[in-house]
Amino acid sequence: MAKDMRETRIEDLPGPKSKEELEEMKMPYEEYCRATFDPGNEHTKPEPLRGVRWMSTTMYIFTPHSVSNLAELGAEVVKVEMPRMGDPMRHTSPFNECYLYPLHDTRPMTGTGLGFLNANPNEYYITMDYHLDEMKEAFYRLVKMFDGLTECYRPGTFDKWKQSYIYLQELNPRFIYVWGGGFGYGPKVFGGSYDILGQAHAGLASVTGMHDFMGGHCAKHSNWCIDWYSGTQITFGILAAIHWRETTGLGTMIEFSQVQAATRCLGYAAPMYGRFGIVRQRWGNWDTQLCAHGIILCGKSDFPDVANPQDKHDACYVMVSAFQDDDFKELCAITGMKDLYGKYKAHKDRVEGEAQVEIYAALEKWAEDKSRSQVVKILQDAGLLAEPVMNDREVYESEHFRQRGSIRYLDDPIFGDVLTHAGYSSGMMSKTPRRQNWIWRPVGADNVKIYHELLGYPTATVQEWYDKSWI
Amino acid sequence: MCDIIWCKKEINGKKCNTVNYLDPYCFWNWEGKVNCAECKTVYYIHMIQGFMYIGPEEVNEKPDTSPLYADKPLEGYRNYLPGIEGRTRPYQCLPRDIYLGVADMVKFSARGRPVRGWRPQPPSAGIAGSFGFEWDIQKLTPEVWEEYQQKLAKGEVSEW
Repeated sequence: MAKDMRETRIEDLPGPKSKEELEEMKMPYEEYCRATFDPGNEHTKPEPLRGVRWMSTTMYIFTPHSVSNLAELGAEVVKVEMPRMGDPMRHTSPFNECYLYPLHDTRPMTGTGLGFLNANPNEYYITMDYHLDEMKEAFYRLVKMFDGLTECYRPGTFDKWKQSYIYLQELNPRFIYVWGGGFGYGPKVFGGSYDILGQAHAGLASVTGMHDFMGGHCAKHSNWCIDWYSGTQITFGILAAIHWRETTGLGTMIEFSQVQAATRCLGYAAPMYGRFGIVRQRWGNWDTQLCAHGIILCGKSDFPDVANPQDKHDACYVMVSAFQDDDFKELCAITGMKDLYGKYKAHKDRVEGEAQVEIYAALEKWAEDKSRSQVVKILQDAGLLAEPVMNDREVYESEHFRQRGSIRYLDDPIFGDVLTHAGYSSGMMSKTPRRQNWIWRPVGADNVKIYHELLGYPTATVQEWYDKSWI
Repeated sequence: MCDIIWCKKEINGKKCNTVNYLDPYCFWNWEGKVNCAECKTVYYIHMIQGFMYIGPEEVNEKPDTSPLYADKPLEGYRNYLPGIEGRTRPYQCLPRDIYLGVADMVKFSARGRPVRGWRPQPPSAGIAGSFGFEWDIQKLTPEVWEEYQQKLAKGEVSEW
């Protein structure tokens, strides 16, 4: 300690005394990440969008998902649904099997299907037949108090009901209005849209699936990937509009066409046509730019004796990547394809279509008498990138996802024990993480909270609207 | 595009006349034995890039696989759909038998904790359909609560 207590000396302070010591005292990166992101304790941290209020007059997945991103980040979102019925998406479920109850007290035998999952978490649920003149006042009062609205109706519908951006910006100039149209404005303005239509009309389905010489057809993705993708694109638009409003004080109208969204993820397709007149073709589980870089079929399943057919028959695919010259050389050495290495030493040669057919056929021939895990082990031991194509059960059981918290059980306050993954697999933020508070709520569950507690209507009025099926 | 084996084998004095479809996904580059879906005669074929290089030649051996699909165009297109055992190739993409097609009632999740997956639920909403943020399982459905206590006692409730 220094003689004069007012003197500060580096050696008296806690912490490292030199650069070398600092390096030594640093936490290993793995530990740092675990401590920083701390999965499971998201609720102890602040929400980045707290204070943002959003209205969601949306249906299905595309537009609801644009708002659910906000709700997971802490915005206060009010979902406005049809009285008694709710979002039509509530009435969809995989093979009509999986529902959670109740939906509404008047419909005790109807539940909300898992098709609704992940598109509307953390939101407050009210009902309102907003096209009625009688409900306009309540709708407009919400608009005055909220930052924005997302809707998904056919073009002009909200305008006809006097609640399009043209009307709402007069009530609230700071209002941000999103019209998630199917086709958007243009010659096909009146076309409705769904995810499959988006995939089909934007050119995505035409390049998805195996090549026709392998018996492939145009394919849609099994999941509604364009709904989720374009919903997230809208969220980016909303965040940018909020930022713009901080500068100018003015709202924005966002018009988002689902069928144009998929073209963004089509990579080189349109530019290639523009430059060479070549129409992009399907190439299935392989890659048009890299080889070897695709999914191969092994001869044996990893779980030949189990009852579940998804395990029994499908646990036999491996993703393998060895497109760099050294990696491809190694791949050829361990799989006995030495002649192929001699033939396709340069990447520009092996990426050609005919070469790929030959290479992947030889790889599958080599894997014919092996199981998925054997193939992965052989390739990984050789220092190559290879991973099994996993099914949902394997994802659920994966220690990697469990430790990262990206798949976890949520004790939903109304529906009980529900396994969730979406909110926590959308990237982590150390200071202001996403979170899921509840998966959804019954139809009209927050009618009193919003109409009475927020807007100040007497409960008798709320009950009267309810009895008339206006809410 | 798809090659075929038109089976002309005479059975009981009558030609089989079944068209067996060799879907390119399986048969594009393929060498082996395939059966006729109708008369089960086994043919050896060798296909290279979709072209039938050798065959079909009748052999007296067990088939390696079956055609995807077959029909009898001379008899009003009577056909064998995919997935008929012994005739056409097993077709695993059909909906699994584990799917029931009707709402499946569950009271507990995969790890054994209560989940509201059964109907009818007792009415529990307040004014104008409003709900709080609590599922009072003990009060609303005491029998499920009781079952849950038993599961807990038996150690059937786990973390995952």
